[in-house]
Amino acid sequence: MMTMGLDIGSITTKIAVMKDREILGTDVSFTGYNPERAWKEIIKRMLVNLDLKESSIDRIVSTGYGRSNVSIAHKKITEILCHAEGARYFMPNVRSVIDIGGQDSKFIRVDDKGAVTDFVMNDKCSAGTGRFLEVMARALEVPLDEFGALSKKSKNTVRISSMCTVFAESEVISFISKGESRENIIAGIHDSIASRMISMMGRSGVMKPMVMTGGVAKNIGIRRALEKRLGITLDVSATAQVNGAIGAALLAQNLNGSNLNN
Amino acid sequence: MKRFAYYDTGHEFPEEIIMAAGFTPYKILGDVHEPTDPADSYVFNYICPFSRSALTEGLAHSDEWAGIAFAQGCDTTNNQYDIWRKHVKTDFLYWLNTPSANNPTAKKFHLHELKRFITHMEKKYNVSITAEKLKEAIQTSNNIKSLMRQIAALRTTKDIPNQEYFELTRKCVQDPKNNVIKDLEATLKEWKKLPGFPSDKVPVLVTGSDITYSEWMDVLDHAGLRLVRDDMSLGERYFAETIGEKSDPIEALVEYNSNIPQSPNRWPFHIRLDYLFKCLKETQVKGVIYQTLKFCEPHLLDLPYMVAQIKGAGYKVITIEREYTPVIDQQVVSRLETFREIL
Repeated sequence: MMTMGLDIGSITTKIAVMKDREILGTDVSFTGYNPERAWKEIIKRMLVNLDLKESSIDRIVSTGYGRSNVSIAHKKITEILCHAEGARYFMPNVRSVIDIGGQDSKFIRVDDKGAVTDFVMNDKCSAGTGRFLEVMARALEVPLDEFGALSKKSKNTVRISSMCTVFAESEVISFISKGESRENIIAGIHDSIASRMISMMGRSGVMKPMVMTGGVAKNIGIRRALEKRLGITLDVSATAQVNGAIGAALLAQNLNGSNLNN
Repeated sequence: MKRFAYYDTGHEFPEEIIMAAGFTPYKILGDVHEPTDPADSYVFNYICPFSRSALTEGLAHSDEWAGIAFAQGCDTTNNQYDIWRKHVKTDFLYWLNTPSANNPTAKKFHLHELKRFITHMEKKYNVSITAEKLKEAIQTSNNIKSLMRQIAALRTTKDIPNQEYFELTRKCVQDPKNNVIKDLEATLKEWKKLPGFPSDKVPVLVTGSDITYSEWMDVLDHAGLRLVRDDMSLGERYFAETIGEKSDPIEALVEYNSNIPQSPNRWPFHIRLDYLFKCLKETQVKGVIYQTLKFCEPHLLDLPYMVAQIKGAGYKVITIEREYTPVIDQQVVSRLETFREIL
């Protein structure tokens, strides 16, 4: 069965096309102002790349904040279930998932059968999310994709104590004015995200093995900060950013006539 | 009959004294659709948004009310009494102390406080709040509580949208009591004929901060979550118990107050937990929604212990901290829908 998963996130739109349980292709684009245009364009590009016709896709599942905008989806499923399914594809015995995306961070607990048993998410605040990192990157005039490498060079992790992105930005600016190195500030930013995530995870309870998904998983600095605080190694797949879309494509394979209600 | 407003973040205010004085008790619930700018001039905006909305209502409508009484509630409510006294125009503003503890000394104290309140009301409004009038008011209250218990029990078997149940709970504390009784009697008859509990909904218990606007109730319904039990002051806590009708009416009010489900303003918090478990034992629910209004300290302080205990007993629980707005953000919707999916 050929399935497609579409994850319409607040910042990026992700797509995965699978044949049975084999990934045929994945892609990422910016969601922007018009989520409908974003998913239509990414589908078009994917079909061209894979030399497929839309009619060859048997089932489509949409997820993410923009999931309701995908009119062609056979089913809309929340991103928590999709991320859990995607993580299980990468690691079948996964018991917990950390997902840090553009505007939210999640911790998901999974039982031995792969069913989601509990989850916690950040409340309506961008602190500890990808958006937080974007704001900090702007303040430090460093491309976001250099954050991970720079943090490895830090000699002293500064402490960012503010609970709010806006105030944390002011704190970062204070460190800049004091002459603190970029590397140390970036390490402090990563540590503050890890700290926030750990306290959120404490509400549910950590279980191993743990997989990290979402775009922020690409940042080695965050991963290290989390691993240091957790005292465990996090598993991150090469497809972490499109994990939700992969999970959606996998869940699409389970759909039949009786559960095609949007 | 003129309204007498009261500000009570719990459900301890003795409406019966107001009724016996010849007024319609009106619980101040704020208005989520109105900006709180007037109140924000006197209260910082990181203080409970509901309390700022209540103050905004007081600033705009106090001239429509015969008077205002505060019932001892959370620290935010208690400490805003002075702000109301300074900025809200009214001829009568009273702070009624109700005890946090529940023991013979606390009851004695409460009896004294109720008598003091009655004396002040009689003097201010030149009325006589007799035992007969209080007994009559108690009977009216009990009638409403009984009707609400019957109506609320239908939620487990009938298709009753969350918003419609909410609207009744609001009427109970804001509308003239005789109208409420007529409405409830009609509703009870009507709802008994409703179709059965819908198969696409999941029965849940909702606890936490009072939900004072219907939009939030709608969101729960849209996520497929149907309230069949609740532990809220604007809800079951208001009508869970009956006031004694045989003894001295003021003593009956004291006794009633010591038996009602506990709000988070009171301690010890295991009493609240025991009540929640009693509800969960009585009614089969698939999950518990523990929602708190942003900056609602009494609930946020209770939450870690309460949630751990409920989860520990094997129930699925979702915790949500919500903004005070009728516009529900997509993240909250996603969380509720996920909860529905995992249930």
